Amino acid sequence: MADERHGRLEAVTDHGQETRSLVFALDAPLRFAPGQFVSCLIPHDGARIVRPYTIASNPEESERIELLLDRVPGGPGSGWLFALPLGGQLAFTGPWGVFTLERAPDAEAVFVAIGTGIAPIRPMLHRASSSATRPLRLLYATTNPVYRDELAALPGVTLELIPPAGVVDAVRARWVDADADRSRRFFLCGVGGVVPRLRDLLRGAGYERRAVQYERW
Amino acid sequence: MAKLTVRHERGEPEQLIEFDPRAAPFQHDGRPASILDVMLGHGAFLEHACGGSCACTTCHVVVREGAAALSPAEENEEDMLDRAVGLTPTSRLGCQAVVEDPDAEIVVVVPRHTVNLVSGTHG
Repeated sequence: MADERHGRLEAVTDHGQETRSLVFALDAPLRFAPGQFVSCLIPHDGARIVRPYTIASNPEESERIELLLDRVPGGPGSGWLFALPLGGQLAFTGPWGVFTLERAPDAEAVFVAIGTGIAPIRPMLHRASSSATRPLRLLYATTNPVYRDELAALPGVTLELIPPAGVVDAVRARWVDADADRSRRFFLCGVGGVVPRLRDLLRGAGYERRAVQYERW
Repeated sequence: MAKLTVRHERGEPEQLIEFDPRAAPFQHDGRPASILDVMLGHGAFLEHACGGSCACTTCHVVVREGAAALSPAEENEEDMLDRAVGLTPTSRLGCQAVVEDPDAEIVVVVPRHTVNLVSGTHG
């Protein structure tokens, strides 16, 4: 088994009724890459189940991590985390995951976040913004734009907010139909089948496989 | 009955699991009758940091025998494997490779390393 780590719930921010940020102070600094997740060990029915949650904060703040999540009806992971009181302890392993961005791409980069899919993209954009020489575009498909003002203020970042239902058409109009440039890099994240639909749309339009990175929840 | 032999590069003892894939799921993580499901449901540990949902590479295994008895890899799995340490032509993700033949005889090796990709330049 991977080494078990612990955090103490230090702060809670509600973004509407069903979306919440949880900040945990860690037992020791955690080294991670923007986009990685931790595997939370959630007490459930006398045992522990594994639920992955992406780290929404920056690796430079290594003594605490922020998790952003929606309450899933009947979901044991989010239900337990939403009920955790300030000071409560979280056990986890990690960091894990390969949906990461270590430095600004050398081509125009497009980040597509659907809802709380903004979680890995937030630290990616902070990292990319610090060294970007090419445009960084964030298409944020949500009705609850958590972190909007913070991300819009990052140097080099252009943020566009759209309704979730319009995300496939918006991507097609901007980066498939509008021009023949296929040098862009894409980072897609969100819940459900829309993520592989976007992947297939972009790869089918001629973008290289490895130029389209994604994480589907 | 199907047979799954598990060998470990790190040197743990070899394990032989006999099972009926039609009786799956054997527990709650990974696709039913996947190598991960079979192993966890029979007391054999396999790392699965994302909970068995094809969102990481920690359940990477190398299939030595019986690959034809497994479900073919889909694009999500191929994309994940692309980032696995020690990728081989017969690499699979344990959470996605489903044992489809009830008489399958499969041999897998659990590699020494799982990906725990960390930036080396930022504390």
